[in-house]
Amino acid sequence: SVQAHKEEDNPQKTMEANGLTSVPNSYDYDLIVIGGGSGGLAAAKEAAKYEKKVMVLDFVTPTPQGSSWGLGGTCVNVGCIPKKLMHQAALLGQALQDSRKFGWQFTEEVKHNWMTMTESIQNYIGSLNWGYRVALRDKKVTYENAYGEFVGPHTIKATNKKGIEKLYTAERFIIATGERPRYLGIPGDKEYCISSDDLFSLPYCPGKTLVIGASYVALECAGFLAGLGLDVTVMVRSILLRGFDQDMANRIGEYMKEHGVNFIKEFVPIKVEQVEEGTPGILKVTAKSTAGDQIIEGEYNTVLLAIGRDPCTRRIGLDKVGVNINEKTGKIPVNDEEQTNVPYVYAIGDILQGKLELTPVAIQAGRLLVQRLYAGATTKCDYVNVPTTVFTPLEYGACGYSEETAVEKFGEENIEVYHSHFWPLEWTVPSRDNNKCYAKIICNIQDNERVIGFHVLGPNAGEVTQGFAAAIKCGLTKEQLDNTVGIHPVCAEV
Amino acid sequence: MGWEEVQARGYSEFVRTAQSYHGRPIFALFCGDKDAEGRSWCPDCVTAEPIVRKELHNLPDESVFIYCLVGDRAYWKDPNNEFRRNLKLTGVPTLLKYGTPQKLVEEECFKAELVRMLFTED
Repeated sequence: SVQAHKEEDNPQKTMEANGLTSVPNSYDYDLIVIGGGSGGLAAAKEAAKYEKKVMVLDFVTPTPQGSSWGLGGTCVNVGCIPKKLMHQAALLGQALQDSRKFGWQFTEEVKHNWMTMTESIQNYIGSLNWGYRVALRDKKVTYENAYGEFVGPHTIKATNKKGIEKLYTAERFIIATGERPRYLGIPGDKEYCISSDDLFSLPYCPGKTLVIGASYVALECAGFLAGLGLDVTVMVRSILLRGFDQDMANRIGEYMKEHGVNFIKEFVPIKVEQVEEGTPGILKVTAKSTAGDQIIEGEYNTVLLAIGRDPCTRRIGLDKVGVNINEKTGKIPVNDEEQTNVPYVYAIGDILQGKLELTPVAIQAGRLLVQRLYAGATTKCDYVNVPTTVFTPLEYGACGYSEETAVEKFGEENIEVYHSHFWPLEWTVPSRDNNKCYAKIICNIQDNERVIGFHVLGPNAGEVTQGFAAAIKCGLTKEQLDNTVGIHPVCAEV
Repeated sequence: MGWEEVQARGYSEFVRTAQSYHGRPIFALFCGDKDAEGRSWCPDCVTAEPIVRKELHNLPDESVFIYCLVGDRAYWKDPNNEFRRNLKLTGVPTLLKYGTPQKLVEEECFKAELVRMLFTED
């Protein structure tokens, strides 16, 4: 701490103490990126291409349960990647069942081993963490596993896990600190509950699980846990998938219910207690109705909280440099060039106010920002018509407006919705549901029936949606869609 | 106690050697066999070996460096050889930290910075 104060007085000494030679403008770095996730790494690697002196700071504060992970951010470690792999594990379980109808014969009953799956997935994630470190070192980007926070203009303090502090200065900064799961604030939540931050590396099978929340995180996790054969219940305060097309959200919920996931609707938990210690142990959850005074109790091996995520912006010293944040949500407002109210501080990714929380969006924003800063480019990140997919047991792909938002924006009389159920050919032989898969497009009548919303519920929804997203970006109209001959027999031809 | 080097030829000997040092950090460099004049059939291995050797002094205390000759060119090219199947090696030279996903493959082994990172960082 004494050392830090000395260095603060003399930036030149700071640089020399860190073994650096003089940099123009007497800053240690051209660019410091706080956060080594999807957005941060993309921006850092791009900046290195233009021979800029770049530093990335990445640090994971362990969860209440003690979980932590390596370089790469949420997506790689505790998000998209392990989620999709576990979703795939569940789909393979279903495929094994279907396979008997296609003639495969095996006498043993099929069981799932949580540890085998988790070890393989964690191994893969480890290779990604290593790959990022190799990529950064190879491109001469300095990486420190340290917690970064602003301490003054153009200056940040980096604290590593041993508590050692160092100061660094830079001409520009990009904040890409992402989010972490929110806790309920009820007795027992931090002591006994887990979140998605813990689930993907859980060193024991979670067993009978209560998932609290109705977000896509909640439904995706509940979905694959049930698909692996576990007894799963989802406790929902009000609606499913707030912000998504509600007709599609309800179809997803119905499908999950019919396939073994229990739902407790219109209840919120008020306390979690431990009945028995263990891995897993037994927890008792008490919940209260949102519609009256009814109280219910239930016992589960694991309670998974998935009620939302909060930006990591409150303890990085933004006040020391005057960067504004939305006090209520913690999100950072930026202009259409990802610049905060402080001209040399930029922000990208999940922490942005009013933008989609998706890895490809953060990557795109990071790359384009750096190209504008150092390569004279002018292209800004296009946040419109970004496709997404929810990997619930019945996958949901979407691009553009939900039906509700389209009606609100254009008026019910000005939009036309075309829809259809479909039965995937692969589902016919094993007699799987014939009336669940569904697709709809929403068209703007006043603009040549331009397709402004695309929604599909069915297998491989992500693969199906990607191509249509490109078409929508080109201004696809209903007529053009009708004139496109379908590929047969595939789901996408609908 | 500093670090030590041991040599192994072929898959079984490699596994036996690694097992005998269980509990200590183990690093391994896999190269193609050398002929009577001490030249390997694998040109990238010839380039990498001196670069890797120059960084060995950075190895953590107590660690073991296994220099392993995998076999002749024909054995290596077989897609089912034990190194490919069991250790998931995809090329020679490969330098790895045994029991972790950390490894450097082929031209990555030419970069002293990366070799040093593998030896010294967690």
